[in-house]
Amino acid sequence: MADNAQQQIDAYLNRVRSRLRGLSAQTTGEILAELRSHITERAVVGGELTATSVDAALAALGSPEELAAEYATDELLARAEVSRSPVHLIESLFRWASLSVAGFFVLLGSVAGYFLGGAFILVAGLKPFHPETAGLWVSRDATGDVAFSLHLGFGSAQVGGREVLGWWVVPIGLLAGCGLVILTTRAALWCAHQYRRAHAKPHPG
Amino acid sequence: MRDGSSADAVNADKWEIQLRKGCLELAILAALWGGKRYGLEILQRLESDSDLIVSEGTVYPLLTRLKSLGLVKSEWVEPESGHPRKYYALTASGRKRALEMAAIWTRFSTSMSRLLAPLAEGK
Repeated sequence: MADNAQQQIDAYLNRVRSRLRGLSAQTTGEILAELRSHITERAVVGGELTATSVDAALAALGSPEELAAEYATDELLARAEVSRSPVHLIESLFRWASLSVAGFFVLLGSVAGYFLGGAFILVAGLKPFHPETAGLWVSRDATGDVAFSLHLGFGSAQVGGREVLGWWVVPIGLLAGCGLVILTTRAALWCAHQYRRAHAKPHPG
Repeated sequence: MRDGSSADAVNADKWEIQLRKGCLELAILAALWGGKRYGLEILQRLESDSDLIVSEGTVYPLLTRLKSLGLVKSEWVEPESGHPRKYYALTASGRKRALEMAAIWTRFSTSMSRLLAPLAEGK
């Protein structure tokens, strides 16, 4: 009977663990040790664990998925808020995205923001090496639609297009690029903060 | 329980849950006021001294959060017989925060009681 009870506890904790992916091994270990301590003490009846008492203890604790989500979201976003580095932020957002739909959309927006920001900075940096081809190009396609595109300047000049900014692309590119990166970081952190305030609170009983 | 209850009852229900959620942080800090306690002790204290009937699982992530905010600290204690327990205690900033929150709470509940007095009389 006791073995059975231990297995139940292990199965529950494994389900929590699998949802805590992304947290450090130390944090995960700490969380699981505390939960095990709680379950064991809560379920001991007359000095022994029984399947029924373990069942009751686990039920009172709530679903392992929900419990893990409360830990994980809070922990990951807290770390991202402290670090402020885009790399850490994206890393944390990836994990947030795997936990919730809101996280997925914030990740999507952030990746787009960083990508565009990075492109601007790259163009500014490459302009001195490809003075004729790098820059912001405007072209008209067959239907007359105007299209803007950033060119890093590798390869030959675009046929039918016009480079519009000239050397201005260097300061403008740097400014726009850095601005976008900062703006994206701010926006993602703001979303994370709002989400934590709304969700990183205890669930109803 | 919720089956068949009217929309009003469900809304009242949600309101009560929100209210409890909002109080839990202060309740945990208050439960630690008298000294260090481990998770299950805190839970039992909340259950006996308040009707903040919470899912037992909610207390642990919240304790972790209070720790990351620096309001509580924790240590593992291994008794001579039995399993190890994780004890929590208020930090200096935790005590300060608890006092601030308690003051806000007292002010708030006093004015709420005053406001609600006519409702009690009308019963």
